[in-house]
Amino acid sequence: MATMGNNNLNAKLVLLGDMGAGKSSLVLRFVKGQFLEFQESTIGAAFFSQTLAVNDATVKFEIWDTAGQERYHSLAPMYYRGAAAAIIVYDITSTESFTRAKKWVQELQKQGNPNMVMAFAGNKADLEEKRKVTTEEARLYAEENGLFFMETSAKTASNVNDIFYEIARRLPRAQPQNPAGMVLVDRPADRSQSAACCS
Amino acid sequence: MADEFLFPSIDPTHFELTVVGTGLPESIIAASSSSIGKTVLHLDPNSFYGAHYSSFSLHDFTSFLQSQQQQEQKQLTKEEEEVRDSNSSRDTNFIEIELKHQCLYSDIEITSNASSEDLEPSRKFSLDLSGPRVLFCADSVVNLMLKSGANHHVEFKSIDASFIYGEDGKLFTVPDSRSAIFKDRSLGLLEKNQLMRFFKLVQAHFGLNESMLQQEKNRISDEDLESPFVEFLTKQMLPSKIKAIILYAIAMVDYDQESPEQCKNLVKTKDGIATLALYHSSVGRFTNALGALIYPIYGQGELPQAFCRAAAVKGALYVLRMPVRSLLLDKESRQYKGLRLASGQEVFSDQLVMGPSFIVPAPPVLSPHTDLQQDISQGSILREVNGHVARAVCIMKGSIKSNVSNVLVVFPPRSLLPEQVTSVRVLQLGSNLSVCPANLFVLYVSALCDDATKGKKSLHAAINALLKCSISENRETSAHLPDESEVVTPTLLWSAMYIQQLTKVSEDPISSCPMPDGNLGYTDILESTEKLFRKIYPGEEFMPEAKAPEDVVDEQESQ
Repeated sequence: MATMGNNNLNAKLVLLGDMGAGKSSLVLRFVKGQFLEFQESTIGAAFFSQTLAVNDATVKFEIWDTAGQERYHSLAPMYYRGAAAAIIVYDITSTESFTRAKKWVQELQKQGNPNMVMAFAGNKADLEEKRKVTTEEARLYAEENGLFFMETSAKTASNVNDIFYEIARRLPRAQPQNPAGMVLVDRPADRSQSAACCS
Repeated sequence: MADEFLFPSIDPTHFELTVVGTGLPESIIAASSSSIGKTVLHLDPNSFYGAHYSSFSLHDFTSFLQSQQQQEQKQLTKEEEEVRDSNSSRDTNFIEIELKHQCLYSDIEITSNASSEDLEPSRKFSLDLSGPRVLFCADSVVNLMLKSGANHHVEFKSIDASFIYGEDGKLFTVPDSRSAIFKDRSLGLLEKNQLMRFFKLVQAHFGLNESMLQQEKNRISDEDLESPFVEFLTKQMLPSKIKAIILYAIAMVDYDQESPEQCKNLVKTKDGIATLALYHSSVGRFTNALGALIYPIYGQGELPQAFCRAAAVKGALYVLRMPVRSLLLDKESRQYKGLRLASGQEVFSDQLVMGPSFIVPAPPVLSPHTDLQQDISQGSILREVNGHVARAVCIMKGSIKSNVSNVLVVFPPRSLLPEQVTSVRVLQLGSNLSVCPANLFVLYVSALCDDATKGKKSLHAAINALLKCSISENRETSAHLPDESEVVTPTLLWSAMYIQQLTKVSEDPISSCPMPDGNLGYTDILESTEKLFRKIYPGEEFMPEAKAPEDVVDEQESQ
């Protein structure tokens, strides 16, 4: 959930889409500026955080990766819970991944929070010669379903930062409806027994 | 084949560990095993995470309980069919043993006193199957969450207050810490001093006081440690009111300690003071937590999900909606080799861990070659039912205690009925925990019991006592209020009551995880889980510390 303090916004962002559509690659490009041709299917981190300055505010994204749990359609409800934004990713060279992406949109509309900002990303835009999904078809679908659409390439970095900026720009500034609790955090070892909670 | 159309085929087909069921212990095993680098396949026949540790929407809660009832009835007629099935093994290299389910719940009763609009929307409810249960800030499950990184996925809130039900039908605040004793208005000065002195004694024993290192002279003698806790309290000259508070509302003891002939579990001093110490180190562990107890927003069901996610991040493979048909044993050695899934697919693993509701029935004619075989052929005696816990989930309009939302209430043994031999614990949670719509409250009630009738009688008595307490309390407060209508008298809108069996698995060949127990916390469940992990991976570290996500980012920044 996006929460606001002064002009700082914290927003949970989730990625959805077919295996191999390039979800992790998009995150790694955005967060680390890296691209690996043969990215492993899980990236071994619970989430990444990255801060963006947009107009009057800074947005700190907490980006959750599926950790492979989407592979057999076994994402936990916890994954969608409190997400302020989602990027649904498909591979422009695979019609199957496009079909699956539409299924994820349906799932989000059912499970996710109704004010969620949803981005539709046609990834691997650098592989124009292998394209199977036309830009027009995807754009039309996105418009009909209230998503904003971009074609991206984690490989060339095309539109990667842009899509995150656009999400940051669209995040509603008035928040939140969910109660904020405390996250359990261990304090650095000043006292062996102690730990702190921060909200 | 139709089955293969419904079920995905799993790739790869060989793992170091297969875990069946996504209850909390199974999820912790999966997270811990994948964090020491084991390849893990984690399956669940259900479409949801958490098994018996799950939280459901109101609609799903009702249909889950109803399905359990039907399963129980069906079980009896299914036997023959299964025997025939297990004989028609397709693969000649394996012996196949059909996996069975045992239903943990019985005597299910659901009552609704409300129109369905009062209970809408169903999705806003998150009802725990094995409540009441909370976390102590200093307990092992909190430590495990911190180590595994599962803490990043769950938010908590404090339980605002705890109360003990007194003999005169009133609720008293539990003076559970030094500051609470100080503020308490129901205790006399002498009682306050007695209680304070006792807390200091226990803290000194453990060296918990900052000024006091653990010293021999502060230690409670070994003889006292082995003696019954209740005797030790008497020896400390504590009056019975204080003894009841310590025993039932802080140490959370179940059985009446004052009548040993009916007490199934006479608590020793060492165990009693250990729970006190846990309670005390929980108070103030987290700066934002008011008291000793915290509860996860969206319900208990978040915990298994968080550990599963931690496991997935370390590479464990997750497949929900995948029932297991049978166990595959090697024909020669008769050792476990793998599973046949509902899809017909065979998946193999070195180790197998299963949730508590799966049982391996004794195969018809098999000679006992190995341990596994021997154990299986002993069949049913492996699992002994040692008691039951009666549970209730109630939806209320209005809080049982004005001005507080998240509350624990303890009814010591015999405080409600002469035949009430165990404590009844009640946990009320409000909408700020996202477990129900605004203005409603969820009440979890539980008591250990020998049979369903007695157990339910205690639960009913506790619920009625709470309704009565709040009415008389409201009368008192409303006398001071100009407008009487402002006081909302709590009313019971909906309730579900059921009996859960408690089965102890002693020597289990297939590494069975513990089922939810009758305790308020997770300590015992965690202890059995850790034991199980050490059994399958001796010498390995249980849940090694995961890198915090911040570290991952820091690494990048330093590049």
